Amino acid sequence: MIPRLWTYFIRRALANIAEQRFIHLISAGTITISFFLFGAFVLLVVNLNTWLLEWGQSLSMSVYLEEDIGEKRKTEIREALKGIPDAELRGFVSKEKAMEALREAFGAQAALLEGFKKNPLPASFELVFKETDFQTLAPETIKKELEGLPGVVEVQYSEQWIERFEGILYMIQAGGFIIGGLLCLAVLFITTNTIKLTIYARREELEIYKLVGATDRFVKTPFLIEGAIEGVLGGTVALAGLYGVYGLVSMKPLYASGFPILKLVFLPPGIALGLIVLSLILGLIAGLIAVGRFFN
Amino acid sequence: MIQLFNVSKHFGQNVALADLTLRIRQGEFVFVTGPSGAGKTTLLRLIFGAQRPSDGAILISGINLGRIRRAKLDLMRRRIGFVFQDFKLLSTKTAFQNVALALEVTGERPSIIRKKTRQMLRAVGLNGKESLYPPELSGGEQQRIAIARAVINEPIILLADEPTGSLDPDITNEIMLLFRTINLRGTTVLFATHNRELLKGTDQRTLMLKNGRMVQEPPVSSEETDP
Repeated sequence: MIPRLWTYFIRRALANIAEQRFIHLISAGTITISFFLFGAFVLLVVNLNTWLLEWGQSLSMSVYLEEDIGEKRKTEIREALKGIPDAELRGFVSKEKAMEALREAFGAQAALLEGFKKNPLPASFELVFKETDFQTLAPETIKKELEGLPGVVEVQYSEQWIERFEGILYMIQAGGFIIGGLLCLAVLFITTNTIKLTIYARREELEIYKLVGATDRFVKTPFLIEGAIEGVLGGTVALAGLYGVYGLVSMKPLYASGFPILKLVFLPPGIALGLIVLSLILGLIAGLIAVGRFFN
Repeated sequence: MIQLFNVSKHFGQNVALADLTLRIRQGEFVFVTGPSGAGKTTLLRLIFGAQRPSDGAILISGINLGRIRRAKLDLMRRRIGFVFQDFKLLSTKTAFQNVALALEVTGERPSIIRKKTRQMLRAVGLNGKESLYPPELSGGEQQRIAIARAVINEPIILLADEPTGSLDPDITNEIMLLFRTINLRGTTVLFATHNRELLKGTDQRTLMLKNGRMVQEPPVSSEETDP
């Protein structure tokens, strides 16, 4: 195709959009909303993944002790824990300290704990494995070994939480893909119909173009460009909106709450670019479907 | 130039053209006449490649229209101009833009499009009316735009379907003069009309159609030379 024709096609596509601006505005708005929702899901997954990675960099383990454990047995357990390679004993949490921490966590509802005649919480040793390769560490084996020590009731490690968290993450990812797929279908449907309306409005012009010898490609290409422009526009505005919301959410409140895990990150450039490319592809497909149906 | 071999066209049970065989030589001016529904428009549309014959073959400059690909047919249409009774102009485009779009589809340079379009509008007597829109022009002027658009790509064939059908007699004569001028430059013209007044005193070849059949056409011998 002659290169200067592309300038002509882009001009015609922009003129089409300008002439049918209301319909295109609605269509681009729908694409924006759809991609905003889809982008929000992707952003959520990206952040959950980031948190998961951060948590995964250190493994913590709680070794819960029997109710009336003697000092001798406690010392034996402490020595056994110190002997574990790569492990750092962070301290001992007595029953009282555990209850105190629970009271703090309950805050205003701490009065609920007054109902307990006896402190039900066990004392524990806290262990941390730093910069650990979990595959070679095998926390499950350590857990079982420690649970075999006299005086130890139960051992819990953070990996178990991470595994549960990973399960939730996969569910969110799956939900995101399903919702994303449905939103993509909605985008296709709306953009296809918008372009069909544009084609219908210009059918007289297209007929005349064909009469003077325009090729199918000449007639169809501006509508494909129209779809692509609409898709990219919707995708870009959605990303900009998402960045705005991200900026607002990540400003203060979450940091002030003191939870380091809630440090938010925005979409990496690759994923952001991927979303725009996806919007471009969807716009092109919509254009192809619309011209295909009309010209057939 | 244009050859039809046993061409028929049916629309369901209706026969629009039946077993038509004819040959039109390069540079000829041929009237196609007959009452409404005789098959004049169908004949032109078949030659234009807008419809395919139900039977028979149509050759334009030796190319069988039934055997070429659609893309090639589009390119071929640039060499076949078509003028309609209802002009088929875009009311949202100026006279200049209506004519220029026939060049735009060829991918011509904008500077050449501007130059050729101005020249063509001057040639059809529309100098100074380039920026007017069709509704702002008379019927005769609109038909001049349509003719300018049809011939700007220097077609080898010009098909005209009742181009003077909606024009008054004075304007009709002006338009006829324009067609004859185009023909004198070597373009083959097929002019469909049911207006017998136009045929009076003309020595041009006339094909008379009735109910899709040729009722008046002397056989064309292969020995005849092109004019």
